[in-house]
Amino acid sequence: MRDMTFSEIERLGAAVGEADEAFSMDEDSFRVFYERTARPVWAYLSRMTGDARLADDLLQETYYRFLRSSGRHENDTHRRNYLFRIATNLVHDQRRKPRADRVELSDSIETLDARPATSVGNVDERTVRRLDLARAMGRLKPRERDMLWLAYANGSSHQEIADALGLKRASIKLLLFRARRRLANLLREPGA
Amino acid sequence: MECLREQEIVEAIANGRWPHGCDPSLEMHASECDVCRDVVTVAVALREDDLSARHEARLPSAGLVWWRATIRARAEATRVAERPLTVAQGIAGASAVGLAFGLAGVAWQSVQRFQRVGEFIAGLDASTLQFASESAVMLQRALPLVIGLGACLLIAPLAIYFVLSDD
Repeated sequence: MRDMTFSEIERLGAAVGEADEAFSMDEDSFRVFYERTARPVWAYLSRMTGDARLADDLLQETYYRFLRSSGRHENDTHRRNYLFRIATNLVHDQRRKPRADRVELSDSIETLDARPATSVGNVDERTVRRLDLARAMGRLKPRERDMLWLAYANGSSHQEIADALGLKRASIKLLLFRARRRLANLLREPGA
Repeated sequence: MECLREQEIVEAIANGRWPHGCDPSLEMHASECDVCRDVVTVAVALREDDLSARHEARLPSAGLVWWRATIRARAEATRVAERPLTVAQGIAGASAVGLAFGLAGVAWQSVQRFQRVGEFIAGLDASTLQFASESAVMLQRALPLVIGLGACLLIAPLAIYFVLSDD
């Protein structure tokens, strides 16, 4: 590789400065925002992908895209909704990848099921409920999973869900009702 | 499809007041209403799973996430800044190659011309030796041109490189 000229170094130095300025918030504001939002975002990514390690990577990517976004947000709620929209898009991208590259929610449940019976016998009731939920969620459509998580785990409003999933607000009520009914039936009758 | 008390139940579950910390009539209502029974089943399960996921999360610090984002943004900015230089270098390289081929073509034509002169000389008998000597003189005069073209072939890419790299 050839040596750089002085003018090139100056030009690259300017580019580095631009990179810092390209973030949508300063470091202090980011720290506060991150502390408030990282756990729910990670929980969402983890449960929607079924892979904790992938959730770690997607968390970094979510915040990077958020920082590089040029949008101006009126308040923290808007910022948070936008963050979940990015996370949702990343989860969707992940689902579109070829199967060999990604972890299916049902695969991760199979792994849990494959544990020896003795260890299953020792797990507490909460873990069993979690397993039932994971299995039931695995039988829903991806969009239904997203919707239910945002509505009941994350406490998002219909408008926020519509924004995050790119759907019309008017259709959320019906879609949510159907998804909720399906999940409730699956949870009441785990074998169904 | 919707119940008027649905939101009350969702809020009670989200705030950890369900079932004992909320209005007893709400619990009774949930046991009788199909919509609210589904809401309770789903919301309690998801809320519990969300809390346990948040608890098990091993998050990187905000500083680390910021630092990684900064490094990546810088790398991207560097790549973007380098793009025009790469384009200019590509154009210079392509021009140098084009010029080299052009010069090689000219040089090749000269060589062929000299070859034809040589063949002509070989075909002449001894009585035409005078003409042969004239041809040799002509070839001698053309030699600097061939050397000049060869030098251009070598120097042109270097000259273009120095002109473009020190702008």
